[in-house]
Amino acid sequence: MQIREYIIRRVMILPLILVGTSLIVFTLGRVGGNPIAIYLEHEMTPDEVAQIEERYGLNDSLPEQYFAWAGGVLRGDLGYSGVLAAPVMDVLPKRLAATLELSVASAIVAVSLGIALGTFAGARRNRLPDHLTRVFAISGAATPIFWFAIVLLIIFWVNLGWFPVGRSEPEIFESISHPTGVYTLDALLAGSFTAFRDAIWHLILPAVTLGYGATAIITRMMRSSLAEELNEDYVDAARAKGLPERLVLRRHARRNALIPTVTVIGLGFGFLLQGSVVVEIIFIWPGMGRWMADAVLRGDQATIMAYVLFTSILFLVVNLVVDVVYAYLDRRVVLGS
Amino acid sequence: MTAPAAAPLSDKTASRVASVEELRIHFDTKAGRLHAVDGVSFDIFDGESLGLVGETGCGKSVTARSFLRLIPVPPGTYAGGRIHFWSKEARQTGGSPVDLLQVPASQMRDIRGNRIAMIFQDPGKALNPALSIREQVAEVFYQHRSEDLLDGWNGTPPRPIRRAAGQRSGKLEWLAFKVPPLRSPARRLRKRVDDLVGDALAETQIPNPRKIMTSYPHELSGGMKQRVMIAQALACNPDLLIADEPTTALDVTIQARIMELIRELQLRHQTSVLYISHDLSLVRRICDRIAVMYAGRIAEIGQTRHVFHDPLHPYTRGLLAAIPSLAHQRGELAVIDGTVPELIDPQPACRFHTRCSYATDLCGRLDPPLVARPGLRPVACHGYASPDELGVAADQLPRLDRDAP
Amino acid sequence: MVEAAARRPPASSPSGPLAIRVRRFGEITKEVLRNPTTTIGLVIIASLLLMALMAPIITEANTPDAYQMPRDWGAINEPPGTPGHLLGTTSTGGDVLYGVVWGARTSLRLSVIVVGITMVVGTIMGSIAGFIGGKVDEIIMRLVDVLLAIPELIFALAIAAVLGPSFGNIIFALTVVFWVKYARIIRGQIIHVKHNEYVDSARVIGDSKLNIYRKDVLPNSVTPVVVQATLDMGNIVLVAATLSFIGLAEAGLAEWGVLVSEGQAGISAGRWWASTIPGAMVFLWALAFNLFGDGLRDVLDPRTEGR
Repeated sequence: MQIREYIIRRVMILPLILVGTSLIVFTLGRVGGNPIAIYLEHEMTPDEVAQIEERYGLNDSLPEQYFAWAGGVLRGDLGYSGVLAAPVMDVLPKRLAATLELSVASAIVAVSLGIALGTFAGARRNRLPDHLTRVFAISGAATPIFWFAIVLLIIFWVNLGWFPVGRSEPEIFESISHPTGVYTLDALLAGSFTAFRDAIWHLILPAVTLGYGATAIITRMMRSSLAEELNEDYVDAARAKGLPERLVLRRHARRNALIPTVTVIGLGFGFLLQGSVVVEIIFIWPGMGRWMADAVLRGDQATIMAYVLFTSILFLVVNLVVDVVYAYLDRRVVLGS
Repeated sequence: MTAPAAAPLSDKTASRVASVEELRIHFDTKAGRLHAVDGVSFDIFDGESLGLVGETGCGKSVTARSFLRLIPVPPGTYAGGRIHFWSKEARQTGGSPVDLLQVPASQMRDIRGNRIAMIFQDPGKALNPALSIREQVAEVFYQHRSEDLLDGWNGTPPRPIRRAAGQRSGKLEWLAFKVPPLRSPARRLRKRVDDLVGDALAETQIPNPRKIMTSYPHELSGGMKQRVMIAQALACNPDLLIADEPTTALDVTIQARIMELIRELQLRHQTSVLYISHDLSLVRRICDRIAVMYAGRIAEIGQTRHVFHDPLHPYTRGLLAAIPSLAHQRGELAVIDGTVPELIDPQPACRFHTRCSYATDLCGRLDPPLVARPGLRPVACHGYASPDELGVAADQLPRLDRDAP
Repeated sequence: MVEAAARRPPASSPSGPLAIRVRRFGEITKEVLRNPTTTIGLVIIASLLLMALMAPIITEANTPDAYQMPRDWGAINEPPGTPGHLLGTTSTGGDVLYGVVWGARTSLRLSVIVVGITMVVGTIMGSIAGFIGGKVDEIIMRLVDVLLAIPELIFALAIAAVLGPSFGNIIFALTVVFWVKYARIIRGQIIHVKHNEYVDSARVIGDSKLNIYRKDVLPNSVTPVVVQATLDMGNIVLVAATLSFIGLAEAGLAEWGVLVSEGQAGISAGRWWASTIPGAMVFLWALAFNLFGDGLRDVLDPRTEGR
């Protein structure tokens, strides 16, 4: 009951935050000088420019412009992307699929590795593995992704040649159709093992790079919360029942330690979103982040606005889901306090 | 209110369940070595309930936890002594005891929750919030009664089921239990466990045990949670139950009922109980004998009514004087002056001498051993020693006026 | 309460509290240095600061603008160890050592400016929200919520992008993004202190709001703000370098992110130095402040154990 009320309340607040975000995004779009500059050509006369301005409503008052823009967004019109020379909504699905594939792969790396490392260290508090993990966790938050990506590329691509860059080999890409835009999924749908292996092969290095920061966050949280749980009475009670240490750790302590760890997964997701911009630039990955980077350099405001709006919504929704999952997992929690 | 008392067992010929000898448990702290338990000896006899009383920090809980080797090492160390334990078989056949501080880890696990069980102070913290009551009580059966769980099968149960009964299932096996052919044997095993868990809960007079089984700790009241703890502690019918302040965290109204429940179950199952408490009046109601602990040592030990009617140790006298009763007049409540001494690297001296109104020089430099003298029960106080015994002049001994405690 | 009342009227004796503060500072320093990782962080910070301050001595300042990379077109893509170019050169003849050294100075300038401004802005906003409360609080905190709803880097990226590529705009963008946490800390502290008894007691004996603020709120907020500022000193450089790596700073700026971006193209040809060395500097900088900030938090605020 409480959980339901809490979710409802959170969902009710969501539109408010979205309106706020859209206002900020809109402001961003308008302070950046003439929003149509990217579409203008040199030989246009002032009259023609004025015509275009009229057509895009740039002479209206700012509130009118905001509502016109927001109305467009609600109807699914996010404007025209200059860098991709196509309406934003037309190119968005493919780009989003690429970014999601990368992010999910990274999340899998981060969550599984983070929990494993955190458990390992938390159960060995104040011993060498624990100290090493602490250093790893802190350095993970301090590592510039662009540098880490380049170092990995130099080692595994330039010197060892183990992994490729890009998203797929052209001939393999041609060999199957891509209905979802998620290449691993497309390969499975097409039943092509070669394509699947190729997709995974291209995925590993960027996913590891991108997942690194989030791994550190999760490791750190898992480690401290497990160490905390191991001090709880119920752990001794479980030992007093005669359970082997393996079950005390896995069934009792770790299950509870996972609960607070869930909360940082939202934070970790923020890391993934931010990192995807850099990782996609370096690994030549045609996703949202790379698109954004191009847009930023070329002043493509429609894309910038769409991207910021979209990532914020994604971030909000993920955090909402995380909160709900947390509330569900931790039955002790009385929400909203 | 007072539960029926068990037959008094004081003579040394009664068989012992456990015998603690010169137990020493130390903790390394920043300030130095803390002697939490410093040479404690006592016996627990078959079927009796022994109360170990003392104030917070006197080492009573540490003593209790050391029976199951639950002291975290480090910072703790088992610095010396033995805890001998006779299981039912050993007592019946006159076999030799095991030393709980020395047995290998695997044997310790067989003893924990099976031969020696423990009830913790705060049932709200001692139950895992993430697991249902059923899961938590069932663990005891899986751990110690996995053979019983497989009783009555025609032939050998399938291997995954045997692994499940021994809590060794992997994640894949759990999936396999959801589909045929393993689904029905898995259900059968589950039903068997449910029956056992239900019986164990019913034993503690929990209303509607089947419903309680499916709930989570936070959904139950404190008294209910403690009943669950008791159910899981007594599930395997242990030889010794250690109750570490089992009612401290509960409402006063519930306390008495839980105490009676423990007493009743103890008598029915012939279980020995080591009762840890700081509350003398509670202990008085249900314990056959009492050991008074002070600053890591036993001050005196004896039959409950003897200790209450004729306290020997000055500390016990102080404690009893501090219990409010109807006989007291307003404002007359006694307090023991001073504070508990530092237990870090203690000097050889009576731990109580700084607070003791009878103390002499001698008490400040010689630690009184816990010894039984002719006509007296064991007490650790120089006031009962003879001058010859210590080789000192008679006027150096504290004079305890035994007629006016 | 008696103590508080007794302590308050003669508040004009600065020597007492000051002496206590100095002693407390000594204790904290000792405690902080006991942790080896924190000490390592402090040592790295000290060397980086030293390098930043000594930049004109280590390398000859470029003219007219020392923060621009000097170009030596006669020595492009030289590997490390080349005479005159100890850490090698970039594809445009920039000396990597010069970039590393002056980049430290750029980072120091950047982080001090941004942390300074955000701390002040955040403190003011948080104080307004916490003390005035009601509608004002509501508005400010909703703004904070919205700002927190957009991931830091992406927000800064968008701001810097619409303003056009320049390092000044990066500084501005970071300022807009980073004040929020300070506002939260200060407001939280005010709300917390407001409900505390000792402020009630102060109010009862007639202290003004401003006095309560000065004596109770600010001293109590110092700890979390100092920790946050330390961590931000590192994070700001990290985010700024990321933005300039993406291409939002002027080309040719002696800044680590710019250098990595410039050197990135050469890695497939085996020229690892122009990108990895400046990148490692960003890592070192952020790591050092994170290690130190983390250790500081452990000592100052044992409740939120980060270890």
